[in-house]
Amino acid sequence: MREQRPENVYLPKIAILDRVEEEIADVRTFYWHFEDPAEQEAFRRFLPGQFAQVSVFGAGEFPASLPPSPTEKDLFFTVRRVGSVTAALHQLVPGDKFGVRGPFGNGFPMNTYCGQNLLFVAGGIGLIPLRSCLNYALDNRHRYGKIQLFYGARGLKDLMYLGALREWEMSRGFECYLTVDRADDQWTGHVGVVGSLFKKPGVSVPVENTTAFVCGPPIMFRFVIRDLKMMGFHDTNIVSTLERYMKCGVGKCGHCCIGLAYVCVDGPVFTYEQIKRLGEDI
Amino acid sequence: MRARITAKADMLTLVDLLREEYEVVAPFYGRGRDTYFDTVTDANRHLVQIHIPNPYYPPKRYVFPQIERLLQIHLNDHPGIQPTYEAPRRALFGIRSCDTAGIDHLDRFYLGRDFKDTYYARHRQNLFLVNVVCTDPDLDIDDDCFCLCADTGPAARDHFDLQLMDLGDEFLVVAGSAKGEAFFAHPIFRKGTPAHLARRREILGNVRKRFKLATSWYWSTVRYITNEEVEDSTWEQIGNRCLECGGCSYMCPTCTCFTVTERKVGPADYERLRIWDACALGGFTRMAGGFNPRRAAHDRRNRRFFRKLAHYFIQRELSVACVGCGRCVEVCHGDIGMPNVVETVRRTTAESKRHA
Repeated sequence: MREQRPENVYLPKIAILDRVEEEIADVRTFYWHFEDPAEQEAFRRFLPGQFAQVSVFGAGEFPASLPPSPTEKDLFFTVRRVGSVTAALHQLVPGDKFGVRGPFGNGFPMNTYCGQNLLFVAGGIGLIPLRSCLNYALDNRHRYGKIQLFYGARGLKDLMYLGALREWEMSRGFECYLTVDRADDQWTGHVGVVGSLFKKPGVSVPVENTTAFVCGPPIMFRFVIRDLKMMGFHDTNIVSTLERYMKCGVGKCGHCCIGLAYVCVDGPVFTYEQIKRLGEDI
Repeated sequence: MRARITAKADMLTLVDLLREEYEVVAPFYGRGRDTYFDTVTDANRHLVQIHIPNPYYPPKRYVFPQIERLLQIHLNDHPGIQPTYEAPRRALFGIRSCDTAGIDHLDRFYLGRDFKDTYYARHRQNLFLVNVVCTDPDLDIDDDCFCLCADTGPAARDHFDLQLMDLGDEFLVVAGSAKGEAFFAHPIFRKGTPAHLARRREILGNVRKRFKLATSWYWSTVRYITNEEVEDSTWEQIGNRCLECGGCSYMCPTCTCFTVTERKVGPADYERLRIWDACALGGFTRMAGGFNPRRAAHDRRNRRFFRKLAHYFIQRELSVACVGCGRCVEVCHGDIGMPNVVETVRRTTAESKRHA
C-alpha cells in the first residue's frame, strides 16, 4: 500500500461568529468567518446548493445548508433550533469559535439554467437551501429569464428572509408571491397552500424553458410536484435539494443514503427524475 | 515459486518471527464454543489455534475499530483541535478467507474512489495478514458458512501477505505480497514438491464438499433486487422478523456505517469518536426534527440487503458486501441472515413472476 498522508477531511476548521440575527421563532442567522484567511478564500469557492458540516465543540456536528450565494460578501448559516447541537449553536455569542467542514455536495448546476426561466417553490424553512440559488441568479440577472418565487409558510411569523425578499423584488426584478396557511389580523395577502398560488388570478407561470426548484416539508413537496406535473413540467426540469441525517459528508458514514445515492456526495441537489429512480422513497 | 513448506511444529516459530516486527493478533478458545481474536503474548502464545470455529467478532475492528477517536478537543479561548491517529504495526494471524475478503472489501470502500479515509488508511498500511485455509470440516467449517456461494473461500486467492494451509503433517505457505515472501528467507521454510500441490488440490476438492446448511443464490437475487422486481410484501415478511438489535451489522466483516459523537473526558476536554452504527436501528436515519424517512423496520431491512446486493454497489466497490462468513446467520434471532433473505427474495419473487 502506498504511503499516503491525505488531508484529513474529518478535521473541522475554526470559524468565528460575527453576529447573530433573529429570523423567525427558533430560527437564527449566524454570520461567521474563518479564522484562517486562506481557509476563507478556499471556502468561498462553494457552489449554490452545497452544504457544510458545522461543529459546536463539545456538543457535536450537524449538516447545514449554505444560504448565502457565492456572489455575496458574507458567510452565514440559518439554523433552526431543533436538536442538541443546533441548541448549542443558538447559545453562542459573537466572538465564540466553532468548527466548519466543507463545502460538500454537488450544488445546483447554475450554468445549465442559463437562458431559462427559474421558478422557486419553497415551504417554511425550505427557503434556506434555495436562497443561495435564488440570490446567485439575481446577481447574474441577465443570464436568466423570468425569476419567480412562490413561498408559503404556516403564518406571517413563519416567513423567512422577508426583508431581503421585499428588497430584491423592488431592486432586481423578480416576482415574489407569498402565502400563509393561517392568516392573522396583520396578513392581507393570499391564504392557502403554496400550490394554490399558481392558479391565482394575474399569476402566469411559464412552463416552456423553465426549471422549477422545490424545497419544503415532504407533504408540501408531494403536492407541489403534483401541481407542477399538471401544469406540464417535465421531471427533468423539477429540481430539489434533500436533507438527511448525516455524519461524515463524504459518502462513508452511510446515514444519508437514499437507494443508490449518497445525498452528501451525489446530492443534495437532485432532479425529480433522479429522485424517482433512486429506489427508495424520499 | 511463491510457495514453501514448513513443519507443523514451526507454526509458532512463524508467530514469533512476526512478533519481532508486529503486534500479533490470533484466534484463541474462550469458554465453551466461544472463540476470539487476541494479542499474542509470551503467556498465551502456546494457545494460538489454527483449527478453531471462526471467532464471533470479525477482525474488522483492527482496521475499523468499534470506537475510534477522531479528534481531541480542548475548549479554551481558542479551541484546540487535534486529530489523533493510531497506526500500530500489527499482524493478523490465522484469519479465514472470508475475513480476508472482508478486509479487502473495506479497503475498496474506504480507500477506493476519490476519497481516502485517513484513519482507515493508517490502520491498514501497517497491517500484515496471515490467512488460514479452512481444511477441517468440523472445526473450520460450521453449519452457517457459505463462502463457497460468496466465492471467497475456503482458500482465499489474494489480498493476504501469507497464506497457511494444513496439508496433514505439514503446512503449505503461500506468499501474497513481497512483504510476505521476505519471510521465506528463514530456514524453517523449504521448497515444496509437485506432490504438495497435488495434496493441496485434493484437500480443497474434499473441503468444497463439506459445506452444510447455509447456501446463497446471490445472483438471481441480485438480478431481482436490481430490476426492482421484489415485492413490498416480501420485505414486510422479512422486516417482521427483525428485532432491530443491529447485531448483523456489528458482526458483519463488510459493514462500514458509523456514527460520530462527542464524549466529555475532562473539565474542558472532549473527544470526537466514531462508533459503528447499524441500519437496523430506528434512529439511523431519524433527523433532528423527528422526521424519519425509514420508519418501518422492513424499510430498514430492505436497505441493508439493497446496499449489499444491488448491482450498482457491487460494481462501485467491485466486490459484494457479503463474504459468506455466516456470522449474521448465527447472530440473528429472527433467522433473517443473508442466506435466508436471499432465498426468501429469490423464492417469493420467482413465484410472483410466475403468477404474474
